[in-house]
Amino acid sequence: MSKYIVKRLLYMIPVLLGVSFLVFTILSLTPGDPGSIILGITAKKEDIAALNAEFGYDQPFLIRFLNYIGDIVFHFDLGTSYATRQPVLDSILARFPNTFLLAVLSMCLSSAIGMAMGIYSAVRQYSAMDHVCVVVALVFASMPSFWLGLMLLILFSLKLGWLPSFGASTLRHFILPTLTISLPSAAGTLRLTRSTMLETVRQEYIRTAKAKGASNRRVIWKHALRNALLPVITSLGGGFGASLGGAIIAETVFAMPGMGTLMTTAIRQKDVPMVMGATLFLAVLFSVIILIVDILYAFIDPRIKAKYQNGGKSRE
Amino acid sequence: MKKALAMLAAACTLTMAVSFGACAEGKTDLVIAVDADVDTLHPTDFSTTVELNVLNQIYDTLMYMNPDGTEEPEPRIAESYEISEDGLDYTFHLRNDVTFQDGTPVTAEDVVFSLELYKESEYQGSQISMMVSAEAMDDSTVVCHLDTPYAPFLEGIVSPFICSKAYYESDPDAFVTSPMGSGPYKFVSRSTGSNVILTANEDYYRGAPAIKDITFEVIPDVATKAIALQTGEVSFAEVDSSVLAQLEANPAITIDEVSTSGFAYVSMNTEKDSFSDPLVRQAINYAIDRENLVQVCYDGKAEVNSNICAKHRFGYSDEQQQYTYDPEKAKELLAEAGITTPYDLGELLVAEKYSNLATVIQNDLKAVGLEVTISVKEFNAYISDLTSGNYDITALVMTLEGDTQSLEMAFITDYIGTANNARYSDADMDDLFNQTRVETDTEKRAELFNQILTKAQEEAIYAVLCNPLTLYAYSSELQCPEFPLEGNYYIYDFTW
Amino acid sequence: MSNAKTGKSRKHAQFMEFWRRFQKNKTAVLDLVILVIILGTALFADLIVPYAKCIEQVGADRLQGPSIAHFFGTDEYGRDLFARVVHGSRYSLLIGLATSLMALIIGAILGASAGYFGGWVDNVISRIMDIFACVPPILLSLAVVAALGTNLQNLIIAITVSCVPGNVRLIRSVVLTAAEQDYVEAAKSYGTSNARIIFRYVLPNAMGPIIVNTTMSISDMMLSAAGLSFIGMGIQPPSPEWGALLSNAQTYLFTAPHMLLFPGLCILFSSLAFNLVGDGLTDALDPKLKD
Repeated sequence: MSKYIVKRLLYMIPVLLGVSFLVFTILSLTPGDPGSIILGITAKKEDIAALNAEFGYDQPFLIRFLNYIGDIVFHFDLGTSYATRQPVLDSILARFPNTFLLAVLSMCLSSAIGMAMGIYSAVRQYSAMDHVCVVVALVFASMPSFWLGLMLLILFSLKLGWLPSFGASTLRHFILPTLTISLPSAAGTLRLTRSTMLETVRQEYIRTAKAKGASNRRVIWKHALRNALLPVITSLGGGFGASLGGAIIAETVFAMPGMGTLMTTAIRQKDVPMVMGATLFLAVLFSVIILIVDILYAFIDPRIKAKYQNGGKSRE
Repeated sequence: MKKALAMLAAACTLTMAVSFGACAEGKTDLVIAVDADVDTLHPTDFSTTVELNVLNQIYDTLMYMNPDGTEEPEPRIAESYEISEDGLDYTFHLRNDVTFQDGTPVTAEDVVFSLELYKESEYQGSQISMMVSAEAMDDSTVVCHLDTPYAPFLEGIVSPFICSKAYYESDPDAFVTSPMGSGPYKFVSRSTGSNVILTANEDYYRGAPAIKDITFEVIPDVATKAIALQTGEVSFAEVDSSVLAQLEANPAITIDEVSTSGFAYVSMNTEKDSFSDPLVRQAINYAIDRENLVQVCYDGKAEVNSNICAKHRFGYSDEQQQYTYDPEKAKELLAEAGITTPYDLGELLVAEKYSNLATVIQNDLKAVGLEVTISVKEFNAYISDLTSGNYDITALVMTLEGDTQSLEMAFITDYIGTANNARYSDADMDDLFNQTRVETDTEKRAELFNQILTKAQEEAIYAVLCNPLTLYAYSSELQCPEFPLEGNYYIYDFTW
Repeated sequence: MSNAKTGKSRKHAQFMEFWRRFQKNKTAVLDLVILVIILGTALFADLIVPYAKCIEQVGADRLQGPSIAHFFGTDEYGRDLFARVVHGSRYSLLIGLATSLMALIIGAILGASAGYFGGWVDNVISRIMDIFACVPPILLSLAVVAALGTNLQNLIIAITVSCVPGNVRLIRSVVLTAAEQDYVEAAKSYGTSNARIIFRYVLPNAMGPIIVNTTMSISDMMLSAAGLSFIGMGIQPPSPEWGALLSNAQTYLFTAPHMLLFPGLCILFSSLAFNLVGDGLTDALDPKLKD
């Protein structure tokens, strides 16, 4: 098992290098240079050039990329932001907890809603409530999330005055953004839970259990659910990624200082070190989460654990 | 629809109840919404209005002057000044009771340090670039040396923030991350992407401020900001005209409109054949219905003005031609220029945030037989096309603050490639701006600007549209004195 | 000859079986109807209301609520919102369909190659996809739009890029399962070409989940486009794309809520329709869910 984990961790290195190169390349294709973006249209050419030189932006693409990677590898330095002229890591660490909390809360809420409704739907397959569950979940999944966010904002902040409209200083500030992210994404979990549940219910052992006179409730909770939830757990990793994505929109609507707003601003300002730092940070996080989910999965499903112990990956 | 309206109505009553219920007496804190994060609090190396608005509370300047330069400067750190006869030396006498927030006195050394820091900064500097050196004669006297007389020097010298040399030398990092000035508010904390908190400087030499605690909250979204104002979470904010109707209807909120010298305009690339003929440029000036444009793009909150010089600015005169909406005249001018309509003018290039201007202009031009295709680019891409002259016609908003001299950036040859977007080059024009630069006699200088602006209007170098108003919305209990032009605000002057 | 015929009629029977099950799902059928209406609107937009009405600005009629003259009211330029929504359907559907189709094609080629050939082909493709998958999709789109510029074509590219990795992974795993089937082994032993095996035998038999995924991704793509518009990196005016209409309307939230309502409902309904049809297809195509 530990061998497997080490292998997976090592594997992250080329992936992260790839991510760096990919994002660095895309960014270098964006028009404009940081100097003129920061100083604006009325600035003198020599001031712009001086500022670009200060940032090292006058160097060719490949040199800048290698310097960047070099700084990370040899100095553990994510660089200095062009816009704030402070270490990128400071900005990231200041905002990351908000995004992380938001993503975790959203993932939990959306899985909870999705699973609950999915199980209910599956148990009552083809009933009116089954349809209602599916349709309601899909209605939320079909809204542009900023639209949903705005409506929640009007209802709960403006009209009812229950919840704050912006910021991230208390847990209450997280309620509306969490709803904005998780309501639309619950449909995916619902669908998955419902179909795996239905599938499991039809398996032989469930029929056997039923035939043996186990109560319906017992069959559902004891046998069907446990097996049906396996694929749902695997999907959590992806769900976390989706929550991170949703956070970008939610943070913008609710003026929440997080990675999403940080990165959208940085992309516009062509703040290369900031975009790179934040992307790498998220990529590492994402990879680690996927790894944790995989390990978790192995613990739950003994068949898979056996596979790992037999040495690494097999093609599933 | 109905439901939404009912909800909004309910919201109004709710906010009213909240704000009327609360007693403003004894309230000493203020929450201000700003639309972008504060990237830095460096006293010179900053670039955004938001940063300026925060720094304005922390730092003080040598003097204070209304941005149009029409009034005598008010003393701040300097209580008086003299200008030598040749116009090359400016001597400032400092007050001796001004201290930094750490208790140390503000000395001539600090002023010299600050001016030099400002002059060297790539971010600012252009305002006092004509200053060769600054010199501390004694603890409370500073002399600035110029190499040539420069008429609007005073307008420039009131901009640099005065900061402590000792503080900079002891900790250059804290100098930026934890700024310390001699202004009415002390820096408390900054949470990136979220807020900046300031507290009153009780020892401020003009007296302790009435409002004790300020929080600048970052709220980029227009609608969210309007909601936060209505719920009372925010008490002061600059707002977008699109949400104004709702805020105006709310008795708990007061709106102030402040004139600015910023101008929305159409720039035509005079290097392109279509726009090299002044007749065509005049026709375009006549073709645009500015009144309608102000309604559509600014919800009426802008002053119609076809002159690049705002009406309150030095050098403006009603004698200078104003272009008004006259499509018939436009058609005549086009015929005179030998253009058969419909005529394709090419691409109307705009940045995403000015696409509303383009939409209206395209429509107006079409009515006189001029066709343009709108091409919208992301802001940075747009700016590089604009400054490199890679465009036909465009619409944007620009601010050339400070003395009227700054308008030279739009007209003289040296600025082709930066702010001279028309890429206009004319020896007479260059010469006129050289004269205004050194002319110290106010009347003569006004006459020179009159010549410049008359020429600009006759040749229709740009098609200026309007001066947008800056809109401030704030809690009706907050007492704000009249805002200075350009809308820089000083919380020191506010009371509950 | 007779073989081909039986093949055809077997296909026909398969389709009838699928159709019978699909029909049982009443909501899916209803939504198919909605979809047809939306597609019809997009196709015959010019017959419903001329494009000229989309761009005609009547200053006096700014920000008006719905009326007989303007079914959906007017926008801040005094343009008829109904005309804009009708013509906007073309852009929104085009974005949804084009991106899903492109992502499907790229995903099919890469995913099928990876799944079928395995070995280093699989390794290279999967590793590259891992890299893409590490960047949140909306950020990837954002960066691509920032690099290429904001227009319809670039937007389609940006959204496609961001959803290729998911497609590749899905198709790879489906193909993996299908490729292990006996008939593929059989085809291989006959010396059938790889491409033919993939496209003739493997992919068609793996089609179920792929079709479902593609149908549902149309909805996601339309929502992504709207999200990008909201961040200011979407399709640009004067194109009346729904997401652009919606994010523009956002600032007029208080004064003209109808501007937010109608494009919002259009996105909601069309995206819901694709989702529900997808959902109906899942049930209809999944042999395991047969009752």
